[in-house]
Amino acid sequence: MPNESTLLKEDAVAAESLGDPAWIRIRDLVYQVSGIYQAENKFYLLVSRASRRMKATGARSPREYLDFLTARPSRDAEMRNLLNEITIGETCLFRSLPQIDALRRVVIPSLAEAKKKMAFTKLRFWSAGCSTGEEPYTLAMILMEETQALLKGWTFEVVATDLNDRSVAKAQEGVYNDYAVRNVPPAYMKKYFTKAGSDYRVVDSVREHITFSRLNMLDDSKMLFMRGLDVIFCCNVLIYFDGKSKTRTIQHFYNALLTNGYFFLGHSESLFGISEKFHLVHFPGATAYWKPGQSLSKAGTP
Amino acid sequence: MKTETLERLRLKIIKIDAMPTIPVILRPLLRCLDQPAEEVDMNRIVELVSYDKSIAAQCIRMANSALFMRNSPSESVRSAVMSVGMWRVRDLLFSNSLSQVIPADRWVVDPLVFWKHSLGVALVCRKFAEMIDYPDPEKAYLAGLLHDIGVIVNCMVAPVEFRAAVEKATRELIPLDEAEHAVLGFRHSDSGRILAEAWKIPTEIADAIELHHQIGDPDRGGPLVALVHLSDLLCRMRDLGYGYYEPRQVDFPNEPGWLYLMMKFPHMAEIDLARFTFSLDEYAKEVGDLVATVFAS
Repeated sequence: MPNESTLLKEDAVAAESLGDPAWIRIRDLVYQVSGIYQAENKFYLLVSRASRRMKATGARSPREYLDFLTARPSRDAEMRNLLNEITIGETCLFRSLPQIDALRRVVIPSLAEAKKKMAFTKLRFWSAGCSTGEEPYTLAMILMEETQALLKGWTFEVVATDLNDRSVAKAQEGVYNDYAVRNVPPAYMKKYFTKAGSDYRVVDSVREHITFSRLNMLDDSKMLFMRGLDVIFCCNVLIYFDGKSKTRTIQHFYNALLTNGYFFLGHSESLFGISEKFHLVHFPGATAYWKPGQSLSKAGTP
Repeated sequence: MKTETLERLRLKIIKIDAMPTIPVILRPLLRCLDQPAEEVDMNRIVELVSYDKSIAAQCIRMANSALFMRNSPSESVRSAVMSVGMWRVRDLLFSNSLSQVIPADRWVVDPLVFWKHSLGVALVCRKFAEMIDYPDPEKAYLAGLLHDIGVIVNCMVAPVEFRAAVEKATRELIPLDEAEHAVLGFRHSDSGRILAEAWKIPTEIADAIELHHQIGDPDRGGPLVALVHLSDLLCRMRDLGYGYYEPRQVDFPNEPGWLYLMMKFPHMAEIDLARFTFSLDEYAKEVGDLVATVFAS
């Protein structure tokens, strides 16, 4: 994983060619294929990452690189490489603060209120495509904090799944380097991590709330068993799926969620044109997809 | 708000000496801009800028800032206007002439946050208007720019109560207009309306100023009210808001304003709201830079 200083250096190089209109077309293509949109303030990031791929492919200009993405037989593979490059380094604990704020300040209070009316005192979250575990640990820590405040007496579970066995194994270890914990607030560092050499290990009390397993989201028979969830996070995974698999997976997520449940994507990822059932809802600085409905009783239970 | 209460408020506001008077250049500027974009006369803009020494100086400073400077520094107002671009000059003229109605020490809210929000809503209004083929995007821009003008009135006519309302809003994390209603008995949308009438701002824009928080009656003000209402909400959800966290969930496609525009403008159905939202982060940066340059001391 590149560290921040090398990223900065590459960004500076890319800045010279930001004006090339082919970059805009590449950005729009990336959006069309994956739903990831890099607004202008992140545009340099896209250009920097795409420049790296441009060099690797031997393309001599952004225009030629665009050809690699659209006209060559290897275009699907190259798009995958580019998406990998764009999302690299995005996995760290407490990655998106606006999403975390939305969870803590809007989503959890509103779920708690709705569920309390039904005498339910349990929340279930799913980190779908959990990679090496940064996301489920973050969610578990936030929920642990809440059970000492708003959710006193509640229980919760975080289900964490990934396609990759090695990622799941690494996630279970729960050991992270400096770079991965750079966004973790100091109070959480102190409470939820112990030092392990030069790294940091998540304490067992957090781990106990998480169930890790391997899951292929394209496997319908497995997906059918995922039910009764309040919140699903699935960041930077669907971008790799083609239209049809995306639609199917979203339908599974929809079924897996309880009424009033929330589905979060990556920070600049969207579901445009994929599902009409979810409502796109806005929180300050973040968006999510909400499964509407007034009554919890109609929702499927596991 | 009830008619009689509004009437009392109007009398109260008009009686007070602190009632903001219209800046000299604002009316000709409004007139000059109340026409299609391509017909706005550059010479007239340059002339208006030249009327006011402090605005002219600001314009030149802006043209020579890192943000805009091209080759050689601008020395004349004309070359400054050329290099900054007419539209930015207009923003500068507006925010500056409106700033003149309120002395720096009378602001109850942070003026930088206020201008960032006003310019942000203006930009989003115009973009929104263009997306749905609303016939007059510049009018939408103007309505966005002026929608919170009542905040300035409140700073002037009821500084103590307004401060209490702002504090209530930031403490309880509720929308400003609700806090105003609780503390003052009226909202900045009400006092803004009164100022708009005193300044003879076109009725449609005055309606948008008055109704942007309460869009119960879609026949008053029409699409412009809905555009300003939605743009205001979007900005508040995207770092161009009141400067504090509003813990709420907004379901835009089910907002009354959205549903109303859906009926009037078929292109609403094609809006990619997620992408539009992400692209607002560009505005946040642009507007932030602009406001920082305009108000740099």
